[in-house]
Amino acid sequence: MKKLIENKLILVPILIIISFFIGAFIAISSINSSTQNNEFSIKNGNWIVNPKMDLQNNYQRAYISRIGVFALDEKEALYFLSSKDSKGRILSSKYDYEIIGTPLAGRYWSYTLYGEDYFLVKNKINTFSVNKENFEENHSIMISSSKKKINWLPSGNEKQFYITLRLYNPSKEVNSNLESLELPIIKRIEK
Amino acid sequence: MKKIFFYLFLVSLMSYFSYHLTIYYIPKTVYGVFHYKMEKNQNLQDNEIKHLDVPNHKSRDVVMPNPDFLYSVCFYDLSKGDLNLTGTMPDSTYWSVSFYKPNTINWYVKNDKEFNTNQLDIKLSLLNRKKENTLKSPEKNGLMIIRILVEKKDQKSLDYFKSLQKSIVIK
Repeated sequence: MKKLIENKLILVPILIIISFFIGAFIAISSINSSTQNNEFSIKNGNWIVNPKMDLQNNYQRAYISRIGVFALDEKEALYFLSSKDSKGRILSSKYDYEIIGTPLAGRYWSYTLYGEDYFLVKNKINTFSVNKENFEENHSIMISSSKKKINWLPSGNEKQFYITLRLYNPSKEVNSNLESLELPIIKRIEK
Repeated sequence: MKKIFFYLFLVSLMSYFSYHLTIYYIPKTVYGVFHYKMEKNQNLQDNEIKHLDVPNHKSRDVVMPNPDFLYSVCFYDLSKGDLNLTGTMPDSTYWSVSFYKPNTINWYVKNDKEFNTNQLDIKLSLLNRKKENTLKSPEKNGLMIIRILVEKKDQKSLDYFKSLQKSIVIK
């Protein structure tokens, strides 16, 4: 060991390689953990939304490319993301959930489930969203791995999943009140 | 002891540079991987347009796809000249045209209501041609995505929107 420390010609390149991996690992871990908690998202209850992201900022651009690459700007679409229920518990297919609330003002809205890997959740009926068109009014949206009669959003078999609420061409009122807006509640139903 | 401090300093400095380099290249890498996947899985070449079906759980080219959209994508390369984008778009649903830089920055988006016509006619150029339907791309390469909203997923609606999607061409 002492000899190795003495021999700069061997040690310096080894340290440079190790340092490269350390830096890259910290960067990737930091971006991955940002999907749960970061300074540049607006938080409203258990939902986060990222309007007016500074895409000239390398870190924010890296973050967006991790969770929503090729997303549109806030005038065109808002993406509300939640990984937790109303009591702060991680969303999982082990439980059923009810989404309670009124649709936000905008041209089109939809709820979609994504697995831990941010891809669509596999399910038997190939239904991946409940949206403005297929939503039956006066009924809540039900997230469950077992069949529901109305407004069913299948949760498949996911240890953890995310809910995205998309709102296309949101109204000005929505865009200017993102922190105080009354967003839907995700209520876990105990089995 | 001095040597150990030197080595610690070296590791910290190199880790710092590596951290920022990784952060800078993550979006470009994500773009590059998407480009590679589209070329490999969808046989999509530059300046060609690919009309994709509505995404499902097997769609794994890009994270968080919207399952209510028919996507058309094109990786453009303006090094050989301008490109013309034409097509007949739906007149009853949301659709939009967006362009991205290779670092994933969205530099242009316009939706159906802003177009005021369902006839798509856009010229993409590296030069500032000062014509109404001409867009000046900030870089010679980039990605174009056209989104068509399909709210009802019955076969009749899907066939209708897909027939319109097929009318979109880039030359």
